[in-house]
Amino acid sequence: MGKKHKSISYAKWGYIFIIPFFVVYAVCTLVPLFSTFLYSFFDYYTTMDFRTIGPNFVGLQNYIDMFTPDRTGAIDLFNYTGNTLLMWVMGAVPQVLFALILALIFTGIRLRIKGQGFFKTVIYMPNLIMASAFSMLFFTLFSPVGPVNQLLTMFTGAEPFLFFSDIWATRSIIAFINFLMWFGNTTILLMAGIMGIDQSLFEASSIDGATSKQTFFKITLPLLVPIIVYVLVTALIGGLQMYDVPQIMTNGKGGVDMTAQTLVMQLNRMIGGVTKNYGKAGALSAYIFIVTGALSVLVFKVTGNSGGKKKAKKGGK
Amino acid sequence: MKKRILAAVLATASILGTVAGCDSTPATSSGNTESKNDTSSTTESKDEGKEDEKKEEGKVLNIYAWNDEFKGFFEKYYQGLEYEFELPDGTKEKRKFDKAPGLETLKGVTVKWTINPSDGGVYQQKLDTALQAQSGAAADDKVDMFLAEADYILKYTNSDFTMDVSTIGVKTLDTQYNYTVQAASDADGKVKGVSFQCCPSALIYRRSIAKDVLGTDDPAEVQKKLGSWEDFDKVAAQAKEKGYYMTGSYVETFRTFSNNVSSAWVVNGALNIDKAIEDWTTQADTYLDKEYTLADGVWGDQKNKQMFKDGKTMCFFGPAWYFNFSMKNAQDKEKGCYGDWAITTGPQEHFWGGTWILAATGTDNGTIVADIMKAFTENEDVCSKLVEEQKQFTNNMKVNQKYATDPNFGNAFLGGQNDIALFVELAKNIKFEYKTKYDQLLSEKYPEYMLDYFQDKISKEEALANFYKFVNDTYADVKTP
Repeated sequence: MGKKHKSISYAKWGYIFIIPFFVVYAVCTLVPLFSTFLYSFFDYYTTMDFRTIGPNFVGLQNYIDMFTPDRTGAIDLFNYTGNTLLMWVMGAVPQVLFALILALIFTGIRLRIKGQGFFKTVIYMPNLIMASAFSMLFFTLFSPVGPVNQLLTMFTGAEPFLFFSDIWATRSIIAFINFLMWFGNTTILLMAGIMGIDQSLFEASSIDGATSKQTFFKITLPLLVPIIVYVLVTALIGGLQMYDVPQIMTNGKGGVDMTAQTLVMQLNRMIGGVTKNYGKAGALSAYIFIVTGALSVLVFKVTGNSGGKKKAKKGGK
Repeated sequence: MKKRILAAVLATASILGTVAGCDSTPATSSGNTESKNDTSSTTESKDEGKEDEKKEEGKVLNIYAWNDEFKGFFEKYYQGLEYEFELPDGTKEKRKFDKAPGLETLKGVTVKWTINPSDGGVYQQKLDTALQAQSGAAADDKVDMFLAEADYILKYTNSDFTMDVSTIGVKTLDTQYNYTVQAASDADGKVKGVSFQCCPSALIYRRSIAKDVLGTDDPAEVQKKLGSWEDFDKVAAQAKEKGYYMTGSYVETFRTFSNNVSSAWVVNGALNIDKAIEDWTTQADTYLDKEYTLADGVWGDQKNKQMFKDGKTMCFFGPAWYFNFSMKNAQDKEKGCYGDWAITTGPQEHFWGGTWILAATGTDNGTIVADIMKAFTENEDVCSKLVEEQKQFTNNMKVNQKYATDPNFGNAFLGGQNDIALFVELAKNIKFEYKTKYDQLLSEKYPEYMLDYFQDKISKEEALANFYKFVNDTYADVKTP
């Protein structure tokens, strides 16, 4: 009897306690995930007269359509993927660099900046504003009758510049908003990362007479790689889902010649309008899923965080 | 602690700064969003009476709309005013509508408005969701009536979501314009609703600019000089020479062309671009190249700014609701140019918009819905108020005729011109034809996608290809070339 008593496993309670989460997850996330994937093999859409066509099994037809060149010979899907990645890079590269500089300044022992809490709050602030509100603000700022053009006209006397009729102006504004919204978040993360590095390493390096540059490249950066990878992967996943800013900036049109049309905007056009095309949207969703997965793996491979750690350890010891 | 307080104060200040920024920037272009009503809102107004209600009528009257134009009329003339009613015993008495004989039921009924903007099909989308959930919805959540525009009314009249209004006692009258009845009828001729407006559209011009360019501001004289598209183009060149824009938006003339098509947007399930649309494409391209117009949408801020006194635009196009409801900038007391306007037929007759009131199948407020429909079409008091106070062109020929022939009637905004008199003539020729349920988004997006071509960013074929892509993504059942 006593033996039996001892062998009671409390582990089962752990499993019992996490059941609710898995049930909710399965119902709310897993089922829709698989049904989306399943629909991508069907011809399944609604029409303007309230009819639903399908689901009729069509195999890979939706995927084939997606990769078929249009009348002008271009494959739209690649265009939209390119736009999304381009605008993401245009925003994310300065975002990480800027955040890194700010994080270094705030954590620098020699600088000892005062009022850190204040600056952190201010830096993080843009992230608290809704992306759509941000977009509306910039849309108004850069509109032909907006303040930016009023200033331009006042100083140069030229006709208003139509920012949203210019491919690169539109893309830059979108990238800039994304940068502005997210650099604060990245700064906080990187600061946490830097502060997590053993202070004795910095002290040791300063005793050894390392310059700030050497300290940064030999100690801070290598030890920060895991955090940077995390930042990049989360930013990438967020960036591939870029939707609200370009949608509002281009009024859903996708900019000049669809050069600001992102993947999720395209998804919205198929599923979020007056009619719904479950089949084609399913195929596009599956594509976005695969691209996101592939790119995340790529980021991991390229940054190779294990190598960074080894080097840092060598430097430290 | 101090740090924290400082941070909190500055945080608040910066948020307020941003909010204030948001607030003041659009204010420079106030009045532009008036007709579009960019915000979604649900407002409720509760009638005061709480006495016993009849059981048959639901307690919540759900109305779906895309702006608050009709809401204003409804609150003012249906809920608010007193009219003379004939009581069952034959005597006459002044009462409010909700106390009309047989309508004591409206007492205690909550009117619930659900308003969503129509741009990009948002209104249709929200309405469709509600209608599709109609059969399973609780009585108080059911849509009772909704408004629809000419561009997509067919979608609803030909569906089972709307009901034959003759079953709730609404009759089609001779005083209604035929096209409004036609538009509200389904393929079998069953009438599903009524319109409270008739919307012949006119050429609206700035008198002062017309005097400068044409040497006259008399509507009849102006009409002689702008009676055809060739003349219109000629005058556009003259206006340009004098430093004016002919129109404020490259889409300004689109309605005029698209209303005079000889084939629909979609024929036998395939997209079809009519010759009139082609003609518009050529005109818009020329106008933008020669700077006769601006690269802005019909509802754009840049165009709306042209309505101010210092604006340089001569011509606008629109029906009564447009210049009275949407040209707020022109009516601005300080910066506007009230009275410096006039209307005439223009190069081609056409109509634009119109609001139809449709009864939703499954409504539990049939009596009230029928009564509302009658109030805004049959009731001459209400219709007269719509003309006098709201400058509407009503869907009641008798009332319109009364004002058209009244020598003392004039619209001060148009420098005293009797707009009703012109509209009565124009309304005779309105035809509701070549319409499809796809029209709203096709007419909205075609000019948008062609703009890239007009601005010489891409070729016409590429612009068309982008438009076709939009069509394919939005209407999976419509074939494109």
